Amino acid sequence: MTDSLVSKVLVLDDSPEHSAAIKKFCDENNLVGLKVRKNRLMSVLRSNIDLGAILYSEAYGASPAENAEIALRIHTVRPELPIILRRESATNLDGINESIKRVFCAGYTTNDMSSLGKVIDEYIFSLVYPNALVRGISEITENILSSQFKQLTTRWDTPYIVRDRVIFGEVFSLIPLESAWCRGYMMLQTEEDAILGVLNRDPLFPESSFRDVNSLLGEITNLIWGAFKNRYIGDAAATSGNQIQVPLVVNHKHKYISFGTENPQLCFLYTLSDENTGKTVKLYQRFIFNLSWSPEDFQEIVNDTNDLVDSGELELF
Amino acid sequence: MAKILVVDDSSTVRDEVAGFLKSNGLDVATAVDGKDGLAKMKADPGIKLVLSDVNMPNMDGLTMVEKIRSELGNATVNIIMLTTESSPSMKERGKAAGIKGWIVKPFKGDAVLETFKKLSA
Repeated sequence: MTDSLVSKVLVLDDSPEHSAAIKKFCDENNLVGLKVRKNRLMSVLRSNIDLGAILYSEAYGASPAENAEIALRIHTVRPELPIILRRESATNLDGINESIKRVFCAGYTTNDMSSLGKVIDEYIFSLVYPNALVRGISEITENILSSQFKQLTTRWDTPYIVRDRVIFGEVFSLIPLESAWCRGYMMLQTEEDAILGVLNRDPLFPESSFRDVNSLLGEITNLIWGAFKNRYIGDAAATSGNQIQVPLVVNHKHKYISFGTENPQLCFLYTLSDENTGKTVKLYQRFIFNLSWSPEDFQEIVNDTNDLVDSGELELF
Repeated sequence: MAKILVVDDSSTVRDEVAGFLKSNGLDVATAVDGKDGLAKMKADPGIKLVLSDVNMPNMDGLTMVEKIRSELGNATVNIIMLTTESSPSMKERGKAAGIKGWIVKPFKGDAVLETFKKLSA
């Protein structure tokens, strides 16, 4: 895993003369460019949950009319994803038909990729996440997943920034994170059948049901939250005591969750694999600092090593 | 009459801890939160050892401990917290309420079994 956060961008651009510049830009700016065939575009957008933006060409599609129609459909399905328009000469949206201008957040040209750089910084990498925090989250979570799923191997991808609001799987947990330097939520998302498959192979849970899945996910969330709190938040007196809250909205029909903010989210994907059967469980972990975010005040809690007792060990008083 | 009471809002933890202790010959009861734990303690004065989480709905574990000592007048039951928390202030609050020890999750039964047997004898 590298130290740099990445973000996945869907590249809807068939132009061969610009593809090298776009690829170079993605490589240099921590973007993972994804391409998709036009006939699969809508199904990919409906199922892919972890995109940061869409790079869209002014020439995409067989005609200007189709180009506009596709852009409108994308925006209708995924309004939270910024669509950045590649143009031949303008780095803004001047001259774009008013009926579709609203679906684009900005324009750029490959003659001057700095214009795209500014847009990416504004819409994707707008929040700074301390490297120590990002590394620490994956360490904490990997340790906990390994301890809860002893028979599985845990791997994680490079963490990435997401603007999507789509929920993965059927079961997710939410827990608030409250401190003087951050206020928001941690969310874990997974698929019920995958977890049931693991539980039903465990002799301690011979006939597991969805309630066992709920309980297990709840405890994993609790363990990660506890370790996060111990390492990065510390004593309860350090919290801000802030009374501000915003509603969270979940739309089950569209598998959509909103935290009331346009802020991007920090996302980690963990894959738990059974090396014997080849079966896997995917767990998405998202951090949404929707209420406050002050990374300049971030610090790790330093404990006196004389006081440290390993987890699982009994500290007698 | 149970000897050990396991208090945790997570059924996963209750099943794991109680299952381990029972498989090692111990008598175990469970409770789903501090309020339930307090009720179970009141109903069964033979409990010798309480293992309790801290963060629970309805009544947290440290409040339950304080009420076991004050409202139930039980000064002798051994109480160990089994929790994700490790803050010094929480441990101090627990010590002031007379807890015997503190374990930061995850639970490792083999490391604590002999001590639990002694404390529940």
